[in-house]
Amino acid sequence: MSSSLRLLKLALPLVSEHGFTRTALANSVLHLPVPHAEPLSDSAVSALFGSGDRARKTLIHAWLDGGLESMSSTESVKDALHARLKYNEPVVSLLPEAFALLSAPESGVPPLDPLPMLKHSARIADEACHVSQDASLRLAWYTKRASLIGIYSAAELHQLTSPSTAPAFLDSLLATSNSIGSSLSEVLEFSSYVGRSWAGIIRSRGIF
Amino acid sequence: MLSSTRLVRAVLPRVHRVPLARCLNTNAPENDTPKTTSFGFRTVPESEKETLVKNVFDSVASSSLGVHRLWKDNLISTLHVAGGTGDIALRILDHAREKYADRETTVEVVDINAQMLKEGFRRFKKTMYHNTPQISFHEANAQELPPSQFLDNTYDLYTIAFGIRNCTSIPDVLKEAHRVLKPGGTFACLEFSKVNNPLLSLAYDQYSFTMIPLMGTILAGDRESYQYLVESIRKFPPQPQFAKMIREAGFTTGEDEDGGAWTDLWGGIACIHKAVKV
Repeated sequence: MSSSLRLLKLALPLVSEHGFTRTALANSVLHLPVPHAEPLSDSAVSALFGSGDRARKTLIHAWLDGGLESMSSTESVKDALHARLKYNEPVVSLLPEAFALLSAPESGVPPLDPLPMLKHSARIADEACHVSQDASLRLAWYTKRASLIGIYSAAELHQLTSPSTAPAFLDSLLATSNSIGSSLSEVLEFSSYVGRSWAGIIRSRGIF
Repeated sequence: MLSSTRLVRAVLPRVHRVPLARCLNTNAPENDTPKTTSFGFRTVPESEKETLVKNVFDSVASSSLGVHRLWKDNLISTLHVAGGTGDIALRILDHAREKYADRETTVEVVDINAQMLKEGFRRFKKTMYHNTPQISFHEANAQELPPSQFLDNTYDLYTIAFGIRNCTSIPDVLKEAHRVLKPGGTFACLEFSKVNNPLLSLAYDQYSFTMIPLMGTILAGDRESYQYLVESIRKFPPQPQFAKMIREAGFTTGEDEDGGAWTDLWGGIACIHKAVKV
């Protein structure tokens, strides 16, 4: 692991105190096994993590990677998503600004870049399927993940405004998704029975 | 007004006591057979490299093609300083003064070449920094900075520009840089590097090996020195390899990519490597 990654890991626990800021990165050296006497200078932070908001984005991405690690000890999709929401709790008030920073494009065109947030939700959905050892194939692989992207995004958005009710909201979304999923598969199966019945009737009439 | 200036100085990078290192030499150990090193595309004994490099810079001491100044402008925002004739030392002091109203920043210029130092001293005599504690000139070998004069853990910023490729032992330079920097201090190196774009690389090679020695012949009457300059650029390690050498000296760098451990300028014709002593 490169040493700058080591400093990023040391900076993560400081996010709740300093926010997703260059200050958190600068203060990471105060928590080394042999701590520095003072935080890193601004030029040192720029040298290691990038200048201006690039350093903040580096810290946010490192924090999001930590979120994926928090899901690794679970075994079901529900537990994984709950663990991920729980990971957000200490810094919920900081997340709107962090996500806005990720969505702000560097060049200014287009005015908003949705890809970072989509990627964020997609990685969480994929990790949740991975820890639950999901064995979906072909189209089901994509639909399962697309469904979880929608569920998690909605739950996280809910958490930003009402953190205390977010777990219950996530449970209701998962239950609805499951019931929709089972209803859809029942409808498809019933439709196939109806289709086969009509095929049999048509053949028995000798039309074809 | 005063409080806002103080706030700017508190949050923006400060530079104190910056050493500049340039040409290097190593002496071959007495008991071993003479070691060799590269001088451009030629292989020469290590003990001869210093003389050869000195001859090159004696020739170019008072001339400059000027192109590299464009890249130096990119350094001012990061408060980097190059060796040589005090070009970048002056820019750092001007930057500190104009942008941060800082008259406490000091720059120490170190060079193994007395001619270059004289040129830098002469240039600084025309500025407001002459005879102030902000600038000083020292003749020393960047591979072996005298410990009594350049103490451990002293400096905030160590920079070297277009000089490290002339050094006999780059790892020794990096080790000394690590020694003299404070914990949290920044190392910055501006150097010609590898162009990764194949088309640009082709054009750059053509320009380098035909036009530059020709211009050296016409402008300075010294084709060989400029030939050396071009060849020494090709011998310098490419960006990832040099970043690895910097880490091996004990520094911490960003990720191994453009914008991380290094920043390419003009497609890699020049490159700024940055690292921190953690």
